[in-house]
Amino acid sequence: MTAPTMRKELTNRVQFCHLPGDKFKTITINIYIHQDLSHELASRTALLPAVMERGTKRFPDTLSLRREMENLYGAEISTDIGKKGERHIIAISLELVRPDFFPQEALLHKGVDLLRNILCEPLVENGGFRDEYVKQEKKQLSREIRGLINDKLSYSLERCIQEMCRGERYQVFKYGNLDSLEQIDARGLYSYCQGLLQNNPIDVYMVGPGNISGSGSLMEELLDFPRNEKAQEITPADVYVDKNRDIQFKEEIIPVHQANLVLGYRTNVDYSHALYYPLLFFNGILGGFPHSKLFQNVREKSSLAYFVFSRLERHKGIMMAVAGIDYSRYQEALEIMKEQVEEIARGNITSTEMENTRRGLMHQLRVKEDSPSQLISFYLDAHVGGRNHSFEEVMEKILQVSREEVAEVAQKVKLDTVYLLRGKKGE
Amino acid sequence: MILKEKESQILQEQLYYNVIGPGLETYILPKKGYQKKFAIFSTRFGSIDNCFRVNGETFEVPEGIAHFLEHKLFEDEEGNAFDRFAALGASSNAFTSFNQTSYLFSCTENFTESLELLLDFVQEPYFDEKSVSKEQGIIEQEILMYEDHPQWRVFFNLLEALYQVHPVRIDIAGTVESIRKITPEVLYQCYYTFYHPRNMALFVVGDVSPEAVAAQVEQNLGRKKYASWKGVKNLYPDEPEEINHSRVEHKMVVSDPIINIGFKDNLAQGIKGEKLFRREIITELLLEIIFGNSEPLYQELYEEGLIDEGFDAAYTVEPQYSHTLIGGETRNPELFYQKIMEEISRVKKNGINQEQLERHRRNFMGKFMRRFNSLEFIANNFSSYRFKDIDFFAFPAVLQGITLSEVNGRLEEHFVENSHAVSLIHPQDD
Repeated sequence: MTAPTMRKELTNRVQFCHLPGDKFKTITINIYIHQDLSHELASRTALLPAVMERGTKRFPDTLSLRREMENLYGAEISTDIGKKGERHIIAISLELVRPDFFPQEALLHKGVDLLRNILCEPLVENGGFRDEYVKQEKKQLSREIRGLINDKLSYSLERCIQEMCRGERYQVFKYGNLDSLEQIDARGLYSYCQGLLQNNPIDVYMVGPGNISGSGSLMEELLDFPRNEKAQEITPADVYVDKNRDIQFKEEIIPVHQANLVLGYRTNVDYSHALYYPLLFFNGILGGFPHSKLFQNVREKSSLAYFVFSRLERHKGIMMAVAGIDYSRYQEALEIMKEQVEEIARGNITSTEMENTRRGLMHQLRVKEDSPSQLISFYLDAHVGGRNHSFEEVMEKILQVSREEVAEVAQKVKLDTVYLLRGKKGE
Repeated sequence: MILKEKESQILQEQLYYNVIGPGLETYILPKKGYQKKFAIFSTRFGSIDNCFRVNGETFEVPEGIAHFLEHKLFEDEEGNAFDRFAALGASSNAFTSFNQTSYLFSCTENFTESLELLLDFVQEPYFDEKSVSKEQGIIEQEILMYEDHPQWRVFFNLLEALYQVHPVRIDIAGTVESIRKITPEVLYQCYYTFYHPRNMALFVVGDVSPEAVAAQVEQNLGRKKYASWKGVKNLYPDEPEEINHSRVEHKMVVSDPIINIGFKDNLAQGIKGEKLFRREIITELLLEIIFGNSEPLYQELYEEGLIDEGFDAAYTVEPQYSHTLIGGETRNPELFYQKIMEEISRVKKNGINQEQLERHRRNFMGKFMRRFNSLEFIANNFSSYRFKDIDFFAFPAVLQGITLSEVNGRLEEHFVENSHAVSLIHPQDD
């Protein structure tokens, strides 16, 4: 069913993976640069791609770069910052209309050249990036950091993580922090960039037509910069954390209409654990779907919430369960949510819940093949998790999970922190 | 069933369609090689349709009822459709906008069963007191969630400022007070008024056989009994040309102020079909040429830290109402406002040039094509444009045909000084 992936190590030891995708209207190329997540480096890592996409030697001002992209039929070069476990990942991507729609335009060649400009021929002045770009992007990033509060759900989830993972690397916000951002200058950032390109693990994914010999040499052109013999090792995430403490409760009061209740759990299961697939079921049965226990009991039976769900951070071994509720009914919601986890641990899982979750997980897996970005993120996750299972192998695993294994994994899952964001009303 | 066909050469896509049974417009777009199959079943009943006439009788129903009905339709005496989709391995959902309500699913197995379920549950209403009152609690939380959503608030505050009486100014979910007035009786009234196949459309996309899908729809509808379609006349109040307020301000917990500037477009009223589509694309091009991130204004505002990447300008046009909205987060809303207005005057004086038009035309074309990767994009857009008598496939041809003088003409007429309003959210201390 799945098209075969094609892999190649480029001459400078960048890992390249071509995922054939003839059915798409596009060609997608994503470059990932991996770094340890740390308080000291996070702001620099987050700032770098934003500065890189502001200008290059050939297109020194942002307008000319953007106009070139528009002329290439809306080629899109975008950058992003990700956090997977305790790993910080810079993503630089290019999406193009498939060149055969406009055969006279040499879209692929020009698009890749633009990407190469950003990566290999940045705009350098006085031994650093252009000073004003760095200053402007520092301001933008500081807005991003301060702007977390604008989305109450994201804020609540992030705050729960901060409280739960205090003292662990995972507490670091993916956009960094204002203190260390302040200290970055144009030269320091440029040398940080050179160090990253030279030392850190880099992998590249492409989704589109063609074969590895063609796309492989295109990538050698694109990623034309010197690299060290051996890439820096990324420190594995600390998954098995026992702080030997009671369940923490943290509350924050700000002027809001709706309370957000977040339960932070330690799963004590990482990506390579034998119970990893049962863990996916556990999360699915608890709060991954409309048929899940949280949706059924918190929303449908008790009318307490509009949104209620759970989600895993699989590379760190934590799970968050969250609901938007009326503060006056907060105790009731908390009890029902905790109870659902305990129910699963006691093995109270119906065969409908088991089978619906199995079908749901299979569906989520299969549809990844219909989106270039989801297809890439499947392989990226496998790479980060250190377990390169194919689609078929993952499906096979999902088919084998039993109710007993789900109950077993549920017994490992421990509530660590309860976080509540609420308004003053009802005090 | 003989299906009609329409091909888009530029997109390399083929669409099959026909009117089935008592009048259901059905569209099928095969996508070879896709795992996912996606179907969306929509009715012309949105949040603005609160007042209507059927059989000579006029009804005024509570605000938020279309959305409430959407929630309730999933349930019947025996359970709910969510669970039945889950048992089939399909993922289902629904949404209500100003102009339509849509029910949808995606699946990678059991497609025939899932389509059958979609057609059945949407066409078999069941409302009772108990489940209506349960839903009031859930939707109340949904409304409160939006109350705390700064972008949503600044947007609806702007619509309230632009429109004096038109129901587009009211939240799609209604208010905590209005939804308490909803009863099973009024839900049935709305249901039988708007959920007739003649008032609906079905769009299916994925690796499917068009003939088999059409045959299934025909059989499903053939088994059901329908009253004859009496039609419905939506009654909208006469919206004056003048705006309601020129400025609304509000405080919330946000890191920076948020501003939305709106221009009410009175001239679009009554336009339909391709003319409306053309107006929309011309205006969208115009907005990109003035406010897009490849143009000097954006660059200046960005470099001065007056905007971030969330800055946006967009045009909404329906036969009933239309407006342009420009907005984003800013550290200094007064300066932001001043710069936007100055730029509009400057561009009006100098006009748009051919290079700008061609560049943005290419950009629009490429972006449109890229989005055809997504089955949801195709089905959702095709359906909602269909309700405006617009063929979404016509986009490339309309875009290619737009002339510089049309864009400049639109520039001349659109930004009328006394038809604009400003909505502001200021940061509130904890």
